[in-house]
Amino acid sequence: MTQLHARGLVKSYGPTPALRGLTLDIAEGEIVAVTGPSGCGKSTLLHCLAGILRPDAGEVTWRGHRIDTWSEAARSRLRRTEFGVLFQFGHLVAELTGAENVALPLLLAGTGRRAARTAALNWLDRLGVAELADVRPGEMSGGQQQRCAIARALVTEPRVLFADEPTGALDTVTGEQLLTHLVRLAGEQRTAVVLVTHEPRIAAYADREIVMRDGVIDHTGLGLDAPLAGGLR
Amino acid sequence: MSPGTLARLAVAGNRTDLARMVLTALSAALATLVVLAALTVLAIEKPPGPEGTQSEQYTNALLREPGLRGGTAFALLLLTIPVLALAGQCARLGAPARDRRLAALRLAGATPGQVTRLAALETGLASLLGALAGLAGYLVGRTLLHRPDGDGRLALPTDVLPAVPALAVVVLALPAIAALATAVMLRGVTTTPLGVVRRAGRTGAPRPWPALLVGLGVLAAALFEPVRESLGPALDAWLALVVLVVAISAVLGVVLGTGTISYLVGRLLHRYASSPARLLAARRLTDDPWAGSRTFAALLAALVFGAGAAAFRAWFQLRDQLEREQNQVAGFADFQPDSFYLRTMDLVDLAVALAVTVAAAGLIVMVVEGISTRRRAYAALVATGVPRTTIGTSILWQVLAPVVPAVLSALGAGYVIGRMLMGDIASGGRTEEVCRASAELCQDPVARQNYVEFVQVDQVVSAPGVPLGQLALLGGGAVVAVLATVGVGLLFLRSNTAVEELRAT
Ligand SMILES: Nc1ncnc2c1ncn2[C@@H]1O[C@H](COP(=O)(O)OP(=O)(O)O)[C@@H](O)[C@H]1O
Ligand SMILES: [Mg+2]
Repeated sequence: MTQLHARGLVKSYGPTPALRGLTLDIAEGEIVAVTGPSGCGKSTLLHCLAGILRPDAGEVTWRGHRIDTWSEAARSRLRRTEFGVLFQFGHLVAELTGAENVALPLLLAGTGRRAARTAALNWLDRLGVAELADVRPGEMSGGQQQRCAIARALVTEPRVLFADEPTGALDTVTGEQLLTHLVRLAGEQRTAVVLVTHEPRIAAYADREIVMRDGVIDHTGLGLDAPLAGGLR
Repeated sequence: MSPGTLARLAVAGNRTDLARMVLTALSAALATLVVLAALTVLAIEKPPGPEGTQSEQYTNALLREPGLRGGTAFALLLLTIPVLALAGQCARLGAPARDRRLAALRLAGATPGQVTRLAALETGLASLLGALAGLAGYLVGRTLLHRPDGDGRLALPTDVLPAVPALAVVVLALPAIAALATAVMLRGVTTTPLGVVRRAGRTGAPRPWPALLVGLGVLAAALFEPVRESLGPALDAWLALVVLVVAISAVLGVVLGTGTISYLVGRLLHRYASSPARLLAARRLTDDPWAGSRTFAALLAALVFGAGAAAFRAWFQLRDQLEREQNQVAGFADFQPDSFYLRTMDLVDLAVALAVTVAAAGLIVMVVEGISTRRRAYAALVATGVPRTTIGTSILWQVLAPVVPAVLSALGAGYVIGRMLMGDIASGGRTEEVCRASAELCQDPVARQNYVEFVQVDQVVSAPGVPLGQLALLGGGAVVAVLATVGVGLLFLRSNTAVEELRAT
């Protein structure tokens, strides 16, 4: 069933077009990889889908509601409750410990401190980094920071996780370990994942692969089973 | 690197770098003006003639009385403290951009020493420009303001000029000091080719020893009167030095104590924080408790002096009032005590207000800098749906939670020391001439003789009351100034949390 639906998305930064009429559906629990050369509009697409940016034209609907017309506050609330966001660098709050960083979205949602900490510890454990609970981001490796960031993105059990090159700053082995975790955990709670990457290898983790070029979808592949697409592999 | 290359690289940079250099130059210009004003006051020649002869060419008592000029110059020099603090804070503005530039230079092969010299040179050059501008402003200002009134008297000492070597020393020394300070500040920072590593802050809880400094100041102030009584006026000059040391130790104690206060407040907040805003604020406070000391140093120093001045004012007011009462008893109804000291206190208050304003300007720089260094983490929080108001609230908590106790301690320390220095006022204790008749008769020297009696008046020791109103005004003003600056700083939050910050570099 389609949960998130984008139609005819157009977005420019001044004279630079980033999206030029893109249409895309994301089903419940589906894992979609978005690939394509640098500058083809992947991040912009992700930001529009997640309600961080408003498209210039076109519409984004979430479970039948047009969210691109919502106010900033309403979209913030949606991101806080239904969506999770993950970036290339963890962007953890430097002054908070691992557990506090993970607990932050729950505290925002009004969960009590003890319950939030318990949930955070649980998620750190599921990502195999229980020992980071009382460690500051500055003392973590890149991979460890990213695991904390995944825990922070998943702790609210979002319906869609948006990940923009989450392994871009990691070495191949660490990156693959991270993605295995991400895909398994998302699958366990049927969280859909929109995974932006420019590494075709990583797209293999997806149910579906979307290859973008110049602000539109060039073609669609089918994850692991897809034929070698567009000279990218 | 050749000096030419060094100079060119030192001034290369983006718009924030330019803003920082302009602000640095401005504070240097301001500092130059203030120092030159102080030097000018000191340059006024002592009028010939017996002790107590005034320099009649001025309208202002502060300038006419040779004995008061030292104090005036000192007050002016005190004003340079917040100005210099502002300059120091400006040096941190846009630091991330400069850090990146310095790191790029290291990557291109510059040595750590060259990088430090570069940064010092940048500050030095900007300050030199500012100092020259300040000198120019001073020279132009003294011609423009040279307006003798009808009697040929002047409002300002525009007729004297400090010695030329002194002018040169000021214009050259200020930039040198600024450059040196930058080099010293950069000692805690290592610029590696991959970015800038700040040496980890002091670990562990700050010790409560700053309270000792304040205590020492209060003790010295308490001993001031008795010591002066027993030593006599011969040592007054030395005692003035003691007062200065007392004041400085109290200011140091309050400023350093703010670190302790920040830490304790952070701990408390952390224990009871249930909202993310307070949690963020708490962590930031315990993480770098000295940030509060750095941020509020100038403000707190101004408040210590302001509260001390309030105590002085209360003392002078009480003395005036007692004198008026005694004169009333004696029948001199319309006698007005000379409120020269009260007018001087007005000037001190003005200086304090100026200092608070300058300190508040420095605070804006600090708040904006704090936001811009964390902009990526903030932008990521906003992207995950954290409302900007939550971040704004956390910044507000972080600034206000330590500032309220710090302001109270500054006011307390300043007032107690001022109160101790002045002591109580003893009046009476002698025979008074009392005129028992209507004011009209008492005014007439001949008629008066028939109505006067001599009465033994017991000695009364009166203590000036706590000038709560003025202290509240000072504290309230400071907190409002802080609030206003945080408000201005928060305007930058929106642009600093834009999604652009998240674009992978
Ligand atoms: N904030 C911005 N300002 C100006 N141009 C931008 C901005 N963000 C993206 N762009 C431009 O839009 C296009 C798409 O960018 P982006 O979505 O980041 O691509 P990708 O993530 O695929 O590399 C690029 O040409 C990029 O230069
Ligand atoms: Mg991108």
